[in-house]
Amino acid sequence: MNEHDLLLRQPGAEAPPALDRPVLPLGPDGLDRYTRRDLRREEIAIAQQFHGGAMWPYVVAAFGCFAVWLSFFPLAIMGKLNLPLACVLSCIFATGGYVTSHEAMHSNIARHGSKWRWVNEWVGKVSTIPIVFPFSMARLMHLEHHYHCNDPEKDPDYTDEAPNMWAAWYKTWYNRQPGVDGSIHHYKRILAEMGTPEAAKALKDTLILQLFFMTVLFSMAWSGYAIEAALIWWLPRHVGLSYIRFYLSWAPHHPREGKKGRYENTRIFKSRLGHVLSMCMETHLIHHLYPGIPNHRTRKAYFALKPILEKRGVDCSAL
Amino acid sequence: MAGALKKLFAIMPFLFGLGFIAPLTAQIMVLREVDPPLGLSPVAFGLLFGGAWGLIANIRGRWL
Repeated sequence: MNEHDLLLRQPGAEAPPALDRPVLPLGPDGLDRYTRRDLRREEIAIAQQFHGGAMWPYVVAAFGCFAVWLSFFPLAIMGKLNLPLACVLSCIFATGGYVTSHEAMHSNIARHGSKWRWVNEWVGKVSTIPIVFPFSMARLMHLEHHYHCNDPEKDPDYTDEAPNMWAAWYKTWYNRQPGVDGSIHHYKRILAEMGTPEAAKALKDTLILQLFFMTVLFSMAWSGYAIEAALIWWLPRHVGLSYIRFYLSWAPHHPREGKKGRYENTRIFKSRLGHVLSMCMETHLIHHLYPGIPNHRTRKAYFALKPILEKRGVDCSAL
Repeated sequence: MAGALKKLFAIMPFLFGLGFIAPLTAQIMVLREVDPPLGLSPVAFGLLFGGAWGLIANIRGRWL
């Protein structure tokens, strides 16, 4: 009980200097701790309804798209591939692969101890091969992003921050330049600093996958299939990485500076390309609050949670 | 092994220029029926162009 409460309870005691001061201390969100607790309970009860659900479409999409993408290589060499169409599809597979992998990063396809755990791991592994981003590194860095969201020193994705949309698109490319400490170069440095066995494995996986990528590109190129290699793997990788960086990192977290709180580290926004083409990132806040809610259910979960989020001070005006 | 790989990745832009940009340039020139200057073959021009671009990228740390 604080001094304010004591004064109120003692007969004849002098009134506190500010009579309009609330009985219970309020937090920076303008809510007292009992209100916060009740809202949190209500929030969890609603969020629980959106956890789980059918995850097999992610598995089918991951393995199916990977198989189709792999088939492009022999078909291109045999001259039986429509290259422009294959290039467009490869760009979609490279970009969408991150979504299926992302579910695997959070073990949403199968938890630890499940007999289907291997499916979760393989979905993660095959999904990010087109963008040459090994699952072990992707998972470690993504979980670090969740733990330290918008921390300039500890959030691995902080290098994606930019003042506006055009600068953000430019930065998706700039951060991949060989001499810039952004994107995967930044990840490599963080992994080396972590020094854990998992980090060492992720670093090794990254080197192996990058060497494999270069070997395939060089071999195809010097065998007379440089244009095919460029349109099936090299270009889709760059398109995918830029799209992912923009929609999964910059758009939902901008502006990052000083926004580290649970309800402020991710924003609700209206995408010009719509919910699906922005990979459900308009409601990415729900994912940060409850990573166990699958990507395709975050929109419905958002509308169910919206009244609570508004009370928490989240700007829900965009949707 | 780790040291060798580190050295390899340190010159990767240059290697990428020779290993990928060079043949890609040559094949695009042949496809678009563009004659290389100075009587060079498309592959020789590709190697000069890709090697130079990769080397510059390696030194500057930027492809553009």
